[in-house]
Amino acid sequence: MKKFFALLLALCMIFALAACGSSAPAAPAATEAPAAEEPAENAESTGWAPDGPVNVIVAYKAGSGTDNTARVLAQFAEKYVGQTLVIDNVEGGSGSIGWSKLADADPDGLTLGFINLPNFSSSIVNEMGTYTTASFAPICNHVNETSIVIVRADDDRFPDIDTLVAYAKEHDGELKASTNGPQASNHIGAQAFANSAGFTYIDIPQGGTADQLLSLQNKEADFSVVKVADIAGHIDVTYRILAVFNDERLAELPDVPTLGEKGFYEGWLGSSRLIAAPAGVSDEVIAFYEAAFKAAMEDPDYLAAAEQAGITTLYMDAAATAAVVEQQQAFAEGLTDEFWGA
Amino acid sequence: MLETLSLMGAGFLNALTPINLLMMAGGVAMGIVIGCMPGLSAAMGVALMLPMTFTMKPETGLIVLGAIYCGAIFGGSISAILIHTPGTPASAATAIEGYQMTLNGRAGKALFTACYSSFWGGLLSCISLYFFAPLLAQLTLKFRSAEYFWLSIFGLTIIAGVSGKSLVKGLISGALGLLLSTIGLDPITGAKRFMFGQSYFAEGINTTCALIGLFSMSQVFILAEKKIVQRAKATKVTDKMGLSREERKQIRPTIFRSWIIGNLIGILPGAGASIACFLGYNTSRQFSKHKEMFGKGSIEGVAGSEAANNAVTGGSLIPTLTLGIPGESVTAVLMGGLVIQGLTPGPELFGKYAPMTYTFFAGFVLVQFFMLGIGLLGSRGFAQISRLSDAILIPCVTVLCFVGSYAIHKNIMDIVVMLSFGVVGYLMRKFDLNTAAVVLALILGPIGEKGLRNALRSSQGDIGILFSSVVCWVLIALCVVGILSPLFMNRLEKKAEEEAVAGTDEDIEVLTQEDSV
Repeated sequence: MKKFFALLLALCMIFALAACGSSAPAAPAATEAPAAEEPAENAESTGWAPDGPVNVIVAYKAGSGTDNTARVLAQFAEKYVGQTLVIDNVEGGSGSIGWSKLADADPDGLTLGFINLPNFSSSIVNEMGTYTTASFAPICNHVNETSIVIVRADDDRFPDIDTLVAYAKEHDGELKASTNGPQASNHIGAQAFANSAGFTYIDIPQGGTADQLLSLQNKEADFSVVKVADIAGHIDVTYRILAVFNDERLAELPDVPTLGEKGFYEGWLGSSRLIAAPAGVSDEVIAFYEAAFKAAMEDPDYLAAAEQAGITTLYMDAAATAAVVEQQQAFAEGLTDEFWGA
Repeated sequence: MLETLSLMGAGFLNALTPINLLMMAGGVAMGIVIGCMPGLSAAMGVALMLPMTFTMKPETGLIVLGAIYCGAIFGGSISAILIHTPGTPASAATAIEGYQMTLNGRAGKALFTACYSSFWGGLLSCISLYFFAPLLAQLTLKFRSAEYFWLSIFGLTIIAGVSGKSLVKGLISGALGLLLSTIGLDPITGAKRFMFGQSYFAEGINTTCALIGLFSMSQVFILAEKKIVQRAKATKVTDKMGLSREERKQIRPTIFRSWIIGNLIGILPGAGASIACFLGYNTSRQFSKHKEMFGKGSIEGVAGSEAANNAVTGGSLIPTLTLGIPGESVTAVLMGGLVIQGLTPGPELFGKYAPMTYTFFAGFVLVQFFMLGIGLLGSRGFAQISRLSDAILIPCVTVLCFVGSYAIHKNIMDIVVMLSFGVVGYLMRKFDLNTAAVVLALILGPIGEKGLRNALRSSQGDIGILFSSVVCWVLIALCVVGILSPLFMNRLEKKAEEEAVAGTDEDIEVLTQEDSV
């Protein structure tokens, strides 16, 4: 009897070990079959192709926003990469642990990772890891999410952005904005908006976007800066969008003015997710993945899945992506005490 | 109204397809196995299975995840009862009374109570899911920073309740937990606190690792210290699984109270099953007519904790589905599954996607019955684990501690933290300090800190904001009750003890050793 249960426990442990080992490959397993059918088409043109499963580091936990979008892309990219893409969730340290792991990985083209801007830039400024932008070789951009200024849909005080700014100036330092954490992306957005419009406000930092929205909803905060995807399904029902952080109006929100056209913050602000390899990978590797992910992002099946999951895909090639990383880094370095009004 | 009823009915019909039923049974069984293994938490189980549900129909995928969730929350109680190692944080309070029952040779009864209470807690929480979802979601909107501050203070008053013999030692433990909870990035300014240059600590001490260390690893050290024969004798399961009619009647009010507590806790974002089990346990203790049994293996204590943590499941789905704000970590993962299926939490789920939503609800109801069935049939098997000699159990639990803490983030630092807390927990128990109070403070500290500081920020330093709403005053009243009741209870307890027959002294002597968790 005892032996039997010893065996049972041993099996339990094996299961546990297997469970922790298989947490990552579980998702791609389902799509392995089609991967085999169509080996990488672009291998010939670039002269390089991965000879084994590709490890894709996601610096946030399974089920998080980044993880979800990464898995959707990975699922369809396998066909073009010709190998299984294994999502490896390396969370913690506000993303810096995963990015440190990516920076330290062998630049053999078998390890890639997703990088989130502006969180990545902030982590460098705050010295969360030992890496810099030079530790990575950007491959392509995947997702772009534009920041927006929102208020509660039932808040009659602020029908538009002008009334919000006028009120904020009249009651300087009184309006409250909930954010997704101190100096996190949405705090940067709120601060940039307030600076450009010339008022001060009280920021109420919350643990994440969900709590940030709750804080707006329960009337603790008066306005918030979030991304369009965060309030999908709630537009005009729960929240009203007053303005977007972009050069021109968004196609899906034609009636919402840009901050720039109202004379406030000029240009784009938001978050983006890109794919990068550790610095030192060969140009062939970059070219291979550039082509593979571009094809995946143009795949009609991917586009359908992405639309369903609310992913705003924006492909950019390696050079353009690298430029964005540097530009965001410069922006983050420029967020001095003066910017924060301290 | 009629339309809603027909949607509910159709939901049950849709949920009763063979594939859905199979998934429910499989999900529950898997959840129980995951739950009863220390270190494999409900959130992890759901996260592990999430990718596999991508290819399923939305309702089937959600039902699987819901089944794992419920199964894991119940499963945690099995190891809590049998090896004094809560399989999930949600069963930390179950270990207190459940393990005492095992020591008393009433393991079967403890398991039955846990299963029975979990079933009712879960089933009752479905009622609220169905009928009070929109209504209860409104309540959450009343909670701002000030209310969260008081909520965490109310939670911390539980320390007084779980402290057992010495309130001072309980408070010392709680203070240690609060101190540890300040490690990491400052929630308001983002400054690095006590991180010693390690970005690993940016998000604070990993509660799960701390919990595995404090509860499980320290248990290994304690077990390893003792003579092996002692334990094998103490944990033989000799009793029948079942409760007499009187006993069922006895725990009925407890289950009902815990349902309310668990449901409300579930609805509040941030506060999950791990807090609910302590609140449920403490309340059962306060209202019990058999207080003398607490600390010595009370079925009410087990019922209070287990009904509360399973009542969280339905409750935490309410804000997840209506507001898109998960009530706890598991539903946060579950929400990821929802979004990947192209479903947005919010009014659409009850309008456009109502058939899918009601099928999921119906599945969630049916899952409770699977949990009862599989729990009752399977627990007997799991119960045998405690018959194992320590010579086998110690290495097994050790391996699970290591695997469990590593599996969460696949970070070797998690094992270091787990081991450190194991040593700390061992020493604390040697000095009669309270490890549960540390965990409680570790969870509640950040909620309270953020609540207080944000409240004062938004009022520009005016302390009046902390007393500015009805909800605040209700919570303050609860805090006062929470603080005073143990003092009052202690007096009653002493009186009862004096009256108790001196013959049981020897038993109590043995039990106080284990009392400290």
